[in-house]
Amino acid sequence: MFLSEIKIFNKLSRLKTSYIKVGILMSLLAYWGVILVGTFVTFN
Amino acid sequence: MEVFLPIAQVFVNPIEILLLSAIVGVLSGLFGVGGGFLMTPFLIFLGIPPAYAVANEANNILATSVSGSTTYYLKNILDYKMGFIIVIGGAIGTTIGIYTFTYFKDIGKIDTVISLAYMYILAIIGTLMLVESLREIDQAKRNVLAKKKAHVHYWIHGLPLRMRFPKSKLYESIFTPIFIGFIVGFIAAIMGIGGAFILVPAMIYIIKMPTKLVPGTSLFVTIFVSIIVTFLHSFNYGSIDLLLVLMLVIGSIIGVQVGQKIGERIDSSGLRALLAILLLIVGIAIAYDTFFANEILNNVQSTKTKDLNFFSEFIIDFSKEMPFFYGLFTIMFAIILGVAAAFMRKFVSNLKIKLLIKAK
Repeated sequence: MFLSEIKIFNKLSRLKTSYIKVGILMSLLAYWGVILVGTFVTFN
Repeated sequence: MEVFLPIAQVFVNPIEILLLSAIVGVLSGLFGVGGGFLMTPFLIFLGIPPAYAVANEANNILATSVSGSTTYYLKNILDYKMGFIIVIGGAIGTTIGIYTFTYFKDIGKIDTVISLAYMYILAIIGTLMLVESLREIDQAKRNVLAKKKAHVHYWIHGLPLRMRFPKSKLYESIFTPIFIGFIVGFIAAIMGIGGAFILVPAMIYIIKMPTKLVPGTSLFVTIFVSIIVTFLHSFNYGSIDLLLVLMLVIGSIIGVQVGQKIGERIDSSGLRALLAILLLIVGIAIAYDTFFANEILNNVQSTKTKDLNFFSEFIIDFSKEMPFFYGLFTIMFAIILGVAAAFMRKFVSNLKIKLLIKAK
């Protein structure tokens, strides 16, 4: 019982970390999207 | 309280400039990065036209790198031979960079080019720094040691005209350091930055210099590149404002000292992610100014020459009538400030040691 609780806790922790990583990646993609689209629009 | 900058023709608050340059100096000292790529955008936000911000920041970098390099010279941890070869490339890159600057200035697009260049450079550095620091934090959590390859050879190491560099214990083609110097010089001329963010990784990973020789040699190269940039900007456009340079130098030299002291006491690797986020924010602020604001509203106020005080009039006349000597003077001014700061630092540390010995 105790071991399975630890396993669930670890899985949740890993899930949280991967959500944060995906969040940062999406923010960076959005950031670069704004910059590139802005440059494109400005020069056209 | 506002001060009029006679060359840049704007009113600025000296406390704001001193505080900002001190903050950027603290970040430089804490993270071991040059502050140019942060300070120039801040100067632009304060209302200083981009072309003037670039030139004056280059002069500030000259003073701070002289100050840092004097310290490394006193410790004899510099590779002069490698430094001079990189400077050759740097001189060619700077000259071509100034021609490019003149071209964009003539067609009236220089402010947009500088803003775009900063936006992209901050976005690239911020992204790389954020990814790297998150990886470091992740590895530290998992207790994983990053495996590094002992020695990797790129095509660049097979280039002809090889030369021995005894201090670095290297046998390398001269084209590699010349090419790196060229890129650094070109960027420095257009953006008014020292280029350490390119030079340091290139020296370690491409040239393969011993890490202990890298900071001193990088500063040594930065001195020569910023001397050429300062002189060419001053001679061609008379854009160096001694009053602004003085404020920048005082703020950044004090800030760097404080940053280095803080860095000795705390582990800055976790804070690197915060610096990366700051760079990305400054990048997006520049993007906003460039894309959405039709004109950056500078608080430029027209001031007639007759309203200026003696010092301001003297600087304007000196820069217009004797551009060559004004260029030399700005260089000497920055070098003297830098050397004075280095010796003052040594004096203070000696005094501290003496006081500690007396106390015991």
